[in-house]
Amino acid sequence: MNENVIDRSRDITILEVLDRVLNKGVILTGDIVISVADVDLVYLGVKLMLSSVETMEQLKSGKH
Amino acid sequence: MGKMIYSILKAAEDPGQLPAVLSGMRGISDADFHEVSYDDITAVVCDVQRAGLVTDRSATMDYAGVIDSLFKDFTLLPVRFGSVMESEGEIRNMLERNHIEIQKNLLKVEGKVEFGLKVFCDTEKLKADRSIEPEGTIKSVNDAEAGQKNQVYMDYVKKKLAEYRLEESVLSYVNSVIKEITECLTGVEATGKFKKMASPANIIDALFLIKKEMTAELIRVVKDLQTRYPDLNFMLTGPWPPYNFVDVTIS
Repeated sequence: MNENVIDRSRDITILEVLDRVLNKGVILTGDIVISVADVDLVYLGVKLMLSSVETMEQLKSGKH
Repeated sequence: MGKMIYSILKAAEDPGQLPAVLSGMRGISDADFHEVSYDDITAVVCDVQRAGLVTDRSATMDYAGVIDSLFKDFTLLPVRFGSVMESEGEIRNMLERNHIEIQKNLLKVEGKVEFGLKVFCDTEKLKADRSIEPEGTIKSVNDAEAGQKNQVYMDYVKKKLAEYRLEESVLSYVNSVIKEITECLTGVEATGKFKKMASPANIIDALFLIKKEMTAELIRVVKDLQTRYPDLNFMLTGPWPPYNFVDVTIS
């Protein structure tokens, strides 16, 4: 598995983190104070990711 | 100045446990954490300047990291990033007003973890494999008397009908995979949520809430599913705090 493949899978994991942190959980309506700036994709590095070799290869080729 | 709420958790049996855990962590803008409690529930909060709250890389990831760290030792409900209240008194009132609902949710997620399962597929290949010809009932209307105008109309209807049947066929396939996943997960005792066709490639976007001790079994099941469906790609992520299984909205 080359580094590009790993980078893409990291990106997906980060999107999963962002989706949860920004959209899920207990919601306090009317008290959200957010402005968006420079949301880079980085790897949190604590999550298990189970995926087939095929998935990684498809990620590598940019099919998903 | 406001109080940013990271999570709401169930009080530990050892009252010294949470302060000990929090003492080793820093909140947004390097602020100290502190607790705001009502009865047996506690909100983990830190001071924040409302004007300075920005969803940049470090703030968002640090936020998730704090919730992850707390999740290792406590049953908790993650709170959405950016939830700020004015004072400890206001937070305590919020906990009191929503005590029953919060307790109910804490009970639901106690001892459990969330996993995400995405199933990817080459949808174009799937459609090609399942391509369906329009049925003869349409053709029977298409006789010599139909004329050129009707022909254009009939061609359009046939095309749309074929597209509809193809979508229906793909959806039927997705439903059959979901049924298989659900059956395979019976032994895992998972609470599941399924979203179909989240994107053209992501045919299933599923979330599961399982007991922590069932993690190895879930991984085994997903590996088994991958073997059974070589044309699909299964991607499992987790364990996560129960972000998607919290049902508390506070006005």
